[in-house]
Amino acid sequence: MRKNSLLALLTLLLTWTISLAQDIRVTGTVTSAEDGSALPGVSVQVKGTTRGTQTDASGAYSINVPSANSILVFSFVGMTPREETVGGRSVVNVQLAADTRALNEVVVTGFGTQSRRNLTGNIAKIDGSDIQGVPVTTFEQALQGRAAGVQITSLNGKLGQGIQMRIRGSSSVTASNEPLYVIDGIPITSSNQGTSSAPQNPLADINFNDIESIEILKDASAAAIYGARASNGVVLLTTKKGKTGKTRFNLGYQLGSSEPTRRREWLNTAEYVELFSEAVQNEINRGNLPASYLTGSTYSRFTRYAAGERANWEQGLVDTDWEAQAFQKAPMGQLDLSASGGDAKTRFFVSGQYLDQKGILIKNSFKRLSGRVNLDHKANDNLLLGVNLNVSRSLNGRLSNDNAFSTPMQIVALPPITPVIDPRTNELSGNYTLYFNPLLNRDFSNNVSTSYRTLGNLYGEYKFNNWLKFRTEWGADLYTLNEDQYFGRETARNTGAPNGLGYSSFAQVTNYTTNNFFSMGTTFAEVHDVDAVVGMSFQRSDATYNSVEGREFPSNAYQRITSAARITSGSSTGSNFSFLSYFARANYRFANKYLLSLSGRLDGSSRFGENNRYGFFPAASAGWIISDEAFMQGVPSLSLLKLRASYGLTGNAEITSVSPAGVTFLNNFAARGLYSGGSGYAGVPGQSPSQIENPDLRWEQTAQTDIGLDFGFFGGRLSGEIDYYTKNTRDLLLNVNVPGTSGFRTQLRNVGRLENKGWEFVLNTQNTTGDFQWNTSLNLSGNRNKILDLDGQIITGGYNNRAMEGQPIGAFFDIEYAGVDPNNGDALYYLNSERPDGSRDRTTTNDPNAAERVIIGNPNPTLIGGLTNNFSYKGFELNVLFQGQGGNQIYNAGGKFQSANGDFFDNQTRDQLNRWRQPGDITDIPQARLFGANGTAESSRYLQNGDFVRLKTLTLAYTLPTAISSRAKLERVRLYVTGQNLLTFTNYTGWDPEVNADFLAGNIGLGTDFYSAPQARTIIVGINLGF
Amino acid sequence: MKYNFKKILPLSLATALLLTACDSQLDLNPVNTIDASSAVATSGDVEALLVGAYDSMGDIDLYGGNIVRNAELLGDNGEIFWDGTFVAPDEIFRKNLLVNNDQAASMWLDAYRTINIANTVLANLSVVTEANRNRVEGEAKFIRGMMYFDLVRFYAKAWTDGTPASNPGVPLILTPTSEITEQSKVSRDNVAAVYTQVIADLTEAEAKLPVSNSFFATKNAAAGMLARVYLNQGRYADAATAATRVISSGRYSLVPTEDVFDVRVNQNGFNTAEDIFAVQITDQDGINELNTFFGGASYGGRGDILIEDAHLDMYQPGDQRAELFYEDGGGVYTAKWINQYGNIKVLRLAEMYLTRAEANFRNNSAIGATPAEDLNRVRTRAGLAPIAPANLTLAAILKERRLELAFEGQLVHDIKRTRGTVGSLPFNSPKLIFPIPRREIDANPNLTQNEGY
Repeated sequence: MRKNSLLALLTLLLTWTISLAQDIRVTGTVTSAEDGSALPGVSVQVKGTTRGTQTDASGAYSINVPSANSILVFSFVGMTPREETVGGRSVVNVQLAADTRALNEVVVTGFGTQSRRNLTGNIAKIDGSDIQGVPVTTFEQALQGRAAGVQITSLNGKLGQGIQMRIRGSSSVTASNEPLYVIDGIPITSSNQGTSSAPQNPLADINFNDIESIEILKDASAAAIYGARASNGVVLLTTKKGKTGKTRFNLGYQLGSSEPTRRREWLNTAEYVELFSEAVQNEINRGNLPASYLTGSTYSRFTRYAAGERANWEQGLVDTDWEAQAFQKAPMGQLDLSASGGDAKTRFFVSGQYLDQKGILIKNSFKRLSGRVNLDHKANDNLLLGVNLNVSRSLNGRLSNDNAFSTPMQIVALPPITPVIDPRTNELSGNYTLYFNPLLNRDFSNNVSTSYRTLGNLYGEYKFNNWLKFRTEWGADLYTLNEDQYFGRETARNTGAPNGLGYSSFAQVTNYTTNNFFSMGTTFAEVHDVDAVVGMSFQRSDATYNSVEGREFPSNAYQRITSAARITSGSSTGSNFSFLSYFARANYRFANKYLLSLSGRLDGSSRFGENNRYGFFPAASAGWIISDEAFMQGVPSLSLLKLRASYGLTGNAEITSVSPAGVTFLNNFAARGLYSGGSGYAGVPGQSPSQIENPDLRWEQTAQTDIGLDFGFFGGRLSGEIDYYTKNTRDLLLNVNVPGTSGFRTQLRNVGRLENKGWEFVLNTQNTTGDFQWNTSLNLSGNRNKILDLDGQIITGGYNNRAMEGQPIGAFFDIEYAGVDPNNGDALYYLNSERPDGSRDRTTTNDPNAAERVIIGNPNPTLIGGLTNNFSYKGFELNVLFQGQGGNQIYNAGGKFQSANGDFFDNQTRDQLNRWRQPGDITDIPQARLFGANGTAESSRYLQNGDFVRLKTLTLAYTLPTAISSRAKLERVRLYVTGQNLLTFTNYTGWDPEVNADFLAGNIGLGTDFYSAPQARTIIVGINLGF
Repeated sequence: MKYNFKKILPLSLATALLLTACDSQLDLNPVNTIDASSAVATSGDVEALLVGAYDSMGDIDLYGGNIVRNAELLGDNGEIFWDGTFVAPDEIFRKNLLVNNDQAASMWLDAYRTINIANTVLANLSVVTEANRNRVEGEAKFIRGMMYFDLVRFYAKAWTDGTPASNPGVPLILTPTSEITEQSKVSRDNVAAVYTQVIADLTEAEAKLPVSNSFFATKNAAAGMLARVYLNQGRYADAATAATRVISSGRYSLVPTEDVFDVRVNQNGFNTAEDIFAVQITDQDGINELNTFFGGASYGGRGDILIEDAHLDMYQPGDQRAELFYEDGGGVYTAKWINQYGNIKVLRLAEMYLTRAEANFRNNSAIGATPAEDLNRVRTRAGLAPIAPANLTLAAILKERRLELAFEGQLVHDIKRTRGTVGSLPFNSPKLIFPIPRREIDANPNLTQNEGY
């Protein structure tokens, strides 16, 4: 049925094509007078007739005119129209000058492009040039603060680590909340493929200096063309194309170094001994420890931790700043070389990059080697061929997860009385320390992830005539990730492997996509502009994973598993999915003022059962350019006023599950009842049920409404957008806790609804023009996430995050700390039990089990924003980006160890010195009690506001006058210095307010700090040479 | 009208490209797993599922170790010291469990997972070949009986505490779950009902299991477990009789003290002549979680459980069992779990002698042997002088039991059964009972919480 209607459409198109008559053929290119760039979508009309066409993506057009006297009218919204008499020419090239600025940039829309002026959906665009040279590992970090409604969070300061991107809030509870990433039309593998529960970021393989532009599709109108995977928004990356003309080389080099954004304060030896002696004495006095415990057990313990020498702690001979030991000198260097050029038929862009960066944490590093070739060839007037190919290799020196003793930041738990080097052996302090010493991992382990990636696509575009073309794209994303780890015998205390532990894993994800679509665009009767896309897409992804673990190595010189005397585990697994999709979109523009757009996608996926194979995702939007109405012509200074509205459905098919090892993975077979064969016992094979079936499983569906106003004044010197949206997601894919007595823990079901409501405000101004230019760009957005219905379920994550009805996702739910009883130093909690009238009993108790848990905070910021100021004067430029967020809280789950008023022997933050000591003391820190659990229950004691504003990026650059650079035969010489994360304004007392403990990070596990490394403050100097 | 080949070709190609993809591309199959509907079709499938039940029972939170560790932490009276950082065992050691204690949750979940596998085996006995059917049934019931015995001991009041027939026990689920419905929200059966089921399962297991069955459950394993259950209930004659069935089978013998436990390092586990049932650990499969917590850092452990002098001082001079300790990193550890790939002993012959000795002594009987004979077998093996029958006391038997079975998961249950104390807590303190996991109450409001949570 579907095929038949498509055939009928095609037959119709064919008939049209052939019926067009032949006259004089005129071709040409329309470019911008400002920068010579091609202008797509320019209307080309034969004056006085109904004949017309539009320029294509490269600005080219061809049109048949009746005679040599015909006049061509070139018009483009926001540009001054031009008329040209053909006069016997067969090529008419035209340049159009802008009459407004920034209002009509070309925006990539997914299977097409559109002028911003004509856009009825919400798409944020970031030019590649804006993020070039930002000293971060991966492009998402460079986008922080640059797009309204887009929240980007690094989990911690480890390089190559996963990053969370939330576009207009979280629209799912258990399925992925990450957007779909598409590079040059090809969806790519963007989720973690590593074996650790701390995700690794496959997007870090991308050299973002290759990127021409990044478009973020936010509303349903913009995103519905990506159907079942568009609920979280879509990020389109377009790579650079060659430009016709002489070959231009660009050489860039930058180098610099990083340090942590903040250090914390810890007890020194004297303070440590004082606090813990007091903690022991208090418990002796309270009858919980024997009288001898201080001078006996405790002192001998101190002595043990102080390398067996009593004087080391008693006289303070050892006073180690362990925190300082977690960090290293962190230099970075990056070399970029690219060449671009071409002739009338063939254009090319080639580039290479080498990045070598050390992290602020010991043993953390990232290296990337990337090469790209983009070629476009015009075989004839009708046929365009091209290839985009990127190969890259990334080498990530990784660290243990935030919850591992071996992760560098957990070093802060070691008492200051322990020396770094054990004087008895002159080696790193080892088995006698309170916990495993992470420095042993620095010296005696390796943990390197290497990824090889080939991203490429071939395309052919055939132009049947002036208004119809067909494009076919064949893309592949081949991603392999190899993790090689070796932990020497010195780390046995942590690994449990007395003679070395080796681990190696290999993941290969192949991802093939083809897109085939017709594009049409024409103008009827001068006032009806129509363009449309109809096509299909197919994607198949296959993944294979292998891993092997070996133990018993002859020495640390042997680190590969071939030298292991015991192979202790090995595995190979796989997974796969496919999508078969049909899509269409039509844009209609009447009189350049009234805009209408319809789009839809029919998405089928292997992830769902036979009964729910296909979902349909339509969207509609409309726009009204009010400023072009006659009655608005009198309004002074108004350049653009456009009202737009959209509504549509999008889906989310990225169903995830959590493996027994805690790794979140895409569950491609979530609907089925499954048995797993991995239940052998002592060498005898076995099987067991692993998943309870749900034959009704579907994708999540989000209905999004967006109303927006675009405005421009003073010829575009002041412009902006205001949007209000609601996103209602239903049929949430939930891993619902089922009674464990069933033998299963959870079942995946489509239950529940949630909503995101928010607003976005973008303002761009050119404050001054002329020699001294000052541009400001501000984006602010607010989002309220609220879970409406979870079918009565409560889903937990993190330490005390949960998804519960009426609350934002990941809300902190725990008992509420009430401070310290001034009479006895007990930690107090509010009972918070509900009274019959619904109010809460604010009586306090010292028994955390008696206190009821309540909502104590929200990990989702309610306000995010960015403010960019660009100043330029002659060759100087200064770019300043502030980024911030507010309204969210952070839970420091490490607090019960770090700031526990001497509950155990972990070194404590210095604020613990303000502990309660005698009746009448008013303080927030309870009495120190060793093993007393006085205030260490998970509670709001360890919750803080996470608001921050950060000087994200500051760049000062100087471009040499051409007169000077040309003497060296250079076209351009630019010198710059950039600082990243230079200043942070926050009341959060932890290391860094941009945090989400890597082993917990997920949809619900949000805003938790657990020995998570701070972000890096990086300063670099760089040079760009153009020749 | 003339048809231009150059125009027709691309259009046909385009059309073909647009329409060639077809629905069958969406029919993909899982790579790592198989559909439940086809998983249990043959006798071999059911037997593989039965192996899955052993695997599940050997999970770290069950007999992979934590079920044993938790009984030792919860019952400790100052003989060990918890030096670790994991919050859940720390709470257990301090006898101060919070209701969200993750050990309480995972033990519950994994036990019921094991029970569901056993139930699935039992529901599919009809496809098992005649020759194997009794054995398969016996093994599944052995596993199910053991799981319920541990559940009722940890999550409900002790048999010795009040009226078992009115104390809430744990929900009894005896059929497999293939879908989640309202009926899945079960209520707690009473303690007596759970014990009745445990005894029924183990009795049937004993009847149907073969005498010899590799390292899997045997007739004697079921009898030995029954002896433990009866002793726990104070049914001394039944306990002595069940123990006698094991002892008089002649299949097991006491081995020298140094061979009772696997004190090799990093070697695959094996069963000794004394072992009646043990969870098998190899470097390929299974984790010896007791090594993780009781083992020193040099032997693959975390070194979290230190043995205190209070325990070491209990051994008489000459007791060879006092040698089963070692020092590592400044702490003293038990050598019983020194081998990280050693098996986890669940039932061994010495326990049968001690059980029979105690049961006969309390019952004033001599089923199988006199109490002194049985006790002295264990004492002599440890290199100690026998106790004359006239001097034998219950305290001596219980002390012998404590020393012989130290760190093997009997402690808190023995205290409850003998109405002892843990520090200042009486045997029936609510603090010595695990909470029904909070997540379970959240998912199933029909469950009532234990006192004190």
